[in-house]
Amino acid sequence: MPQQNCEIQNCNGKVMFKYVNKPIEKIDGLALVTGEEHYTNDFSFTNMLHVSVLHSPFPHASIDNIDDSDARAMKGVVEVLSYKNVNRILYTTAGQGFPEPSPYDTVLFSDVMRFVGDNVCAVAAESKETADRALAKVKVKYRQLKAVLDFEKAEGSPTIIHENDGAFPKIPVYYDASKNIAAKVEAEIGNFEEAYNKSPKKFENEFYVPYASHCAIEPHAAVSYLDYRGRLVIISSTQVPFHVRRIVSAVAEIPISKIRVIKPRIGGGFGGKQEVLLEPIVALMTWRTKRPAKLVYTRKEVFTSTRTRHQYKTTFRVGYESDGTINALHLDALENSGAYGSHALTVLANAGSKTLPLLNKIQNLKFTGKGVYTNLPVGGAYRGYGATEAYFGYGQIVDIVCEETRNDIVEYYKKWAIKAGETSPIFKALGEGKEGVAMTVTSTSLHECLDAGATLSDWYQKKKLYTADFNKGKRVKKGIGMAALMQGSAIPEIDMASAYMKMNDDGSFNLLVGATDLGTGSDTVLAQIASEVLDTPVEKIIVTSSDTDHTPFDTGAYASSTTYLSGQAVKKCAGSIKDQIVKVGANLLSLPVTDVEVDDGSVVPSQSSKQKNHGKVTFAEICQSSFYQKNQLQIQATASHVSPKSPPPFAAHFVEIEVDTFTGIIRVLHYVATVDCGTPINPTLAEGQAQGAIVNGIAYALFENYYFSPQGILLNDTFGKYGMLTAHDIPPITVKLVDSYEESGPFGAKSVSEININGALPAIANAFYNATGKRLFRAPFMPEYVLSVLQKG
Amino acid sequence: MKIPFSINSAVYELELQPHETLLTVLRNHGFTEVKSGCEEGECGACLVLLDEKPVNSCQVLAMSVRNKHVRTVKGIGTLYVPHVIQKAFAQRGADQCGFCSPGMVIATFSLLREHPNPTREQIAEALDGNLCRCTGYVKIIEAVEHAAAELRNTKL
Amino acid sequence: MLPNTIQWYFPTTVKEATKLIQKKGIILHGGGTKILEPQPRGSIKGLVDIGSLGLNYVKAVGKTIHIGSGATFADVAQFCRKKNILTMLGNSLGSAASTPLRNRITIGGSLKDFPMWSNLYAPLLALEATIEITGERAGVFSLEHYAASTLIKSKHLIKEVRVSEKKHLRCGVKAFHVVRFEYPIFNIAAALTMRENIVQNARIYITGVKKKFLRLESAEHAIRGKSITDETIDKAAGQISLTFAPDYKFSSGYKERMARVYFKDLLCEIQQGIV
Repeated sequence: MPQQNCEIQNCNGKVMFKYVNKPIEKIDGLALVTGEEHYTNDFSFTNMLHVSVLHSPFPHASIDNIDDSDARAMKGVVEVLSYKNVNRILYTTAGQGFPEPSPYDTVLFSDVMRFVGDNVCAVAAESKETADRALAKVKVKYRQLKAVLDFEKAEGSPTIIHENDGAFPKIPVYYDASKNIAAKVEAEIGNFEEAYNKSPKKFENEFYVPYASHCAIEPHAAVSYLDYRGRLVIISSTQVPFHVRRIVSAVAEIPISKIRVIKPRIGGGFGGKQEVLLEPIVALMTWRTKRPAKLVYTRKEVFTSTRTRHQYKTTFRVGYESDGTINALHLDALENSGAYGSHALTVLANAGSKTLPLLNKIQNLKFTGKGVYTNLPVGGAYRGYGATEAYFGYGQIVDIVCEETRNDIVEYYKKWAIKAGETSPIFKALGEGKEGVAMTVTSTSLHECLDAGATLSDWYQKKKLYTADFNKGKRVKKGIGMAALMQGSAIPEIDMASAYMKMNDDGSFNLLVGATDLGTGSDTVLAQIASEVLDTPVEKIIVTSSDTDHTPFDTGAYASSTTYLSGQAVKKCAGSIKDQIVKVGANLLSLPVTDVEVDDGSVVPSQSSKQKNHGKVTFAEICQSSFYQKNQLQIQATASHVSPKSPPPFAAHFVEIEVDTFTGIIRVLHYVATVDCGTPINPTLAEGQAQGAIVNGIAYALFENYYFSPQGILLNDTFGKYGMLTAHDIPPITVKLVDSYEESGPFGAKSVSEININGALPAIANAFYNATGKRLFRAPFMPEYVLSVLQKG
Repeated sequence: MKIPFSINSAVYELELQPHETLLTVLRNHGFTEVKSGCEEGECGACLVLLDEKPVNSCQVLAMSVRNKHVRTVKGIGTLYVPHVIQKAFAQRGADQCGFCSPGMVIATFSLLREHPNPTREQIAEALDGNLCRCTGYVKIIEAVEHAAAELRNTKL
Repeated sequence: MLPNTIQWYFPTTVKEATKLIQKKGIILHGGGTKILEPQPRGSIKGLVDIGSLGLNYVKAVGKTIHIGSGATFADVAQFCRKKNILTMLGNSLGSAASTPLRNRITIGGSLKDFPMWSNLYAPLLALEATIEITGERAGVFSLEHYAASTLIKSKHLIKEVRVSEKKHLRCGVKAFHVVRFEYPIFNIAAALTMRENIVQNARIYITGVKKKFLRLESAEHAIRGKSITDETIDKAAGQISLTFAPDYKFSSGYKERMARVYFKDLLCEIQQGIV
C-alpha cells in the first residue's frame, strides 16, 4: 500500500509533527485519577467464588498425600484443586512467543514443592475468608528433601531440583536438569584468551546483584467466568493476554476458541505480570464449577510466589592497553533462576546482548553464562531483563580502565561506543536463546546525550572538585560517576504486533490493538500515531486494547516493544485507512485521487492542484456517504508488523552522591539522565518512564534485596520490611530527551521503558569510587557493606 | 449487620461484619475507587478521608467509623466534574498506571486545605504514605505544585 | 484476622471502659492498627472503642501538658508545632510512620504496645513523662516505671500521659533508618538542663535495644557538670555500652556502632542549637 509522507519538515530539516512528539494528556488520565477506571479486582460477578492458594512451607519437599476432605466438608467450600484432580501437564509460565525459549519445567499443581511459596493446592469458596480458613484444613503430607539455597553451589549439587520430572527445553537449546542447569549461553568473537594473555594490563572482578520484587502497587489478580454461550472469559492483570490464552488452553485443556482474555487497567507490571500464574487456576475453577472465580494475591504472595529479578554474579575479565584500548573482554554470568526456569535463557542472553554491543570495537569478546536452579523464589522478566544485572559490572569496568589509563570516561564512550552505521557481531551471536539478528545502528544521539549530561550535571567541574584532597578527612565524602547505556526495541524477527481500524460516521475511528497498556500510556501513544497519519485529533481515536476476541494479535508489553513495534503496525494500518478515505473523498469531490490530500479531519484539494476552491469534504461526510449513500463500504483496515531489527535506545546517566563514612549511608544528590529514544511520541510519558525507572534503579542499588532464613523462607515480605522510596527520599532528578530519528520506527521512535533502570548501579558505584577511592562489588550498597569496603586497606 | 455510613455526603446502609476493615466494606459496596495494594497500611492505595483526615482504610475497622464521615476520591471530584487537583494530575503526567492516583489525590487534597502554598518538604511529608512505583514521584510533585497554584489563583 | 464473632462496646465513661477490659479477651481499640496483626486464635473476643471517652485531647494546664491516650500522633505533633513547645516530641511523632498512619496511631496504643521501632518512648522518657492509668493497679506513675514493670502488662486503661515544661531544657531526638519508609532501628532522645552552657542534668534514652529501652546513665554522668565539647561528647560516647539483637539487615555490632555515632551527632546538634 502506498505510504503517504506525513512528515513536514521545517527549513532546518528537523521533523515537525502535529500529534506526535507532543505531551498529550493520557486518554484514560482523568478516568484514572477520579477512580473511575477498573482494574481486575474491581470486577465482581454474581455467584462468584473466591480462590485461595496454599503455598509450600518448605523449600524442597515431596508431597506424599493431600487429603482435602475436611476442607471440602466446610460450609461454603465448593472446589479444591491439587495434583490429585488436575492433569499433569508440563509448561512454562513465561509469557513469551511460542515455542517458548524457557524450559517446560512447571506443573500447575505438582507433587513436588521446589521453593517456599510453590503452589500446593487451591480452594474455591463462597467468601475469601472461608477459602483462607479452608486452606488450614487441607491435610498435606510433606516429605522434606535437601534444599539448594546457594546459587553458587547449585551446579552439580547432589540435590537435583528437577529430577526425573520430565522437564525439557521447548526449543533445541542446552538444558541439563541433572546438573541443575536451566540455561546456558556461549558466544565468542575473536580469541579472548590469547588477546587477554597478551594484554599488558588486565584485571578480573566479580560483581553481585540481588533478588528484587517489582513492587507494582496492584497485586496480581485474575477473574474468570463463563459467558452466555459457555465460553471462558478471563479478566487478568496481565502484560501478555494472548500468551495467557494459549497457555491456559494448554494447561487447563480448554480449546483456544473457547477462551477470551481481557486486560483492563493494570496497576503496574514492570515484567512481573509477563507471566501466566493466576489465570490457569481461576480458569479451571470456573470451567469445573461453571461459576465465576476470583483470585487476588496478597502482597506477601506477590513477594514470594510470583516472579522476581534474577540474582546474578557477573565476572569480568578485561585485557587492555595503556592507552585504554580494550583488547579482550570476557563477561561470565551466573544467574539464579530459582525453582523454575521461566525467562532463564533469555534474561541470560540479554545480559550479554544488551551490554557488549555498546563497546563494539573490542576485537575479542567472550560471553559465557549459566542459569541454575535453586530452591528459592523464581526469577522472571523484570525491566532491564539481564541488562540491569550486567551493567553493574560493565559500567564499572569501563570506569576502571579509564581511571587506570587516565582517560576521561565521557570522552572514552564518545570514542569507543557504537556509532550510526556501525554494527557489532554480538547482535548476530546473541539472540533470544538462539542466534540473534545482525543489524546496523541507524540512529543514535549518544554523543549529544553524553555532552548534554556532562553539562547538566556539571560533570567536569565536579570531577575536578571531588578529588582525594577535597574529600580527605571529611566525614561526608562527595563524588560523581557516570555510565553509558543501551537496550533494545522489541525482539527482531520474532515478535509481531497488529492493529485494526474502522471508521465511524462522525469522523471518529475505532483503533483495536492487541498491545498492552500497563500504565505506560501505550493506548495514548498508539492513538497519537494514528492521529498523526490521519491528521485528525487524538480525541477522534477510540482505543480498545488487549481483548483476545476483539483485538488482533500482539505479543504483549515486554522487550520495550509497544511504541516501536505495535506503533509501526498502527502506522501501517492508519495509512491504509487514509488511502481509503482519500479515495472516497476524491470521488465525492469529483477530483482525481492525486489531486487531493488529508487536512485536519477533512479531504481537501491538495495545495499543488489547481482546484483550490473546490470545497472540501469532512471525514464525517465521507463515512456517512460510505455507510449509507453510495459505493457503500466500511472503511476499515488491518496491518501487522514484525521488525527485522531491534534499534537500541541509548542513555547517559550522571550521578552525584555523598557517602557518610561514619554510617555507610549513601545519598544521591543529583541524578541526570540524558536519553535517546528516537522520536518521543509523547515526551511527558517518555520522561515519566525515565523518572520511574531511575527511582527504581536507585532503590535497587541502595537497599532492595530478598533476605532468606536458613530454611529458604523470605523474611522481608512486606513493603515496610522490603523498603520503598517515597516522595521524601527522591533526589533532584533531571531527565533530558535527546531526540534522534530511527527510520524503522513509527515517526522515528525507538523505545524508552527499560533502559533507564540500568544506570543507577554503575553510576552510583563509579561516584563512590570518585568519592572514596574504593569500589563496590556487591549490591545492594547497604551501609554495613559500605563501611566494610571503606575499612578495607 | 446493617450500619448507616456517611460516604461522600450521602448516607448508605452498609452490610458489614464486626471484624471487617473499612476498605473491605467500602469495596464490597461498590466503592472500588478505594484500592487494595498491601492491606498492611503501607502503600496508601486505600486512602480515604475520615472526618477529613487521610487514613489507610485497610487499617480502620469499619465498626469504629459510625458517626464519622468518609470521603473517597470520588467525593473530591468525578470524571464528570473533576477537581482541580485531578485535572492537574492528568495534565502533568502524574498518573501512569493510576493505581496510586486516588490515594495521591486524597493526600494532596488534605495537604492543600492546610497548606495552600506548600513547600517541597510539606508536599513530600503529605505524600509520605503513598507509594508509587511508576512515576518516581517527580511528576506527582509537579502536579501538586501546579494544582496549588491553580487553587490559589481561582481564590483571588 | 479478627474473628467475625467479635463484640463491640462503645462506653461513654472511663469507668465503664475500665470495667469492660477486666474480662478476658476484651481489649481496647483506639487507632486499631496493632490488633489487625495476626493474633492467636480466639484471643480477642471483644473490642472496647475509646472514641466516645473524650480522651483525644492535648492541652496545656499551667506548665504541664496533658496528652489524652486517644490523641493521635498527628494531634500531638500539630499541638507541639502550633504552640511551639515540646519540639522534640512533636518532631519525633511528626516524622513517625506516615501521614495517614499518624492520623490513626494513638498515644495510648503506642504506649501500651511499645514496639521496638517506637518513636514515642524515647522522647517521653527523656522528658520525664508520667502516666495515669485506671484498672487493676490505678494511679500515676513515671513512664519509666510503667514501661519496665508489670504495670504495662496489667489490665489497664491509659487515661493520659503528662509532661512538664521545664526551663533551660535543650532537647533532641534522632531515629536511625536507611530509608524514611522503614521502621527505625532505634530512637535516641536527650533532654539536657543547661545553665550557662554547663550541663546541670541529663536524661538520655535509647529504644530499640534488646531490653527495649535503656537510659544511658554512664554517658549522662560523663557530661554532667561540663560543657558540651567534642571532647566531652567523645568521652561520653565511649562510656556507652548497649546490646542490640541482630536482624537480617544489620548486625548487632553495626547497630551498636551507629548508636554511638548518633549519640554524638545528637549532642552536637543540641549544642549547635540545630534541634
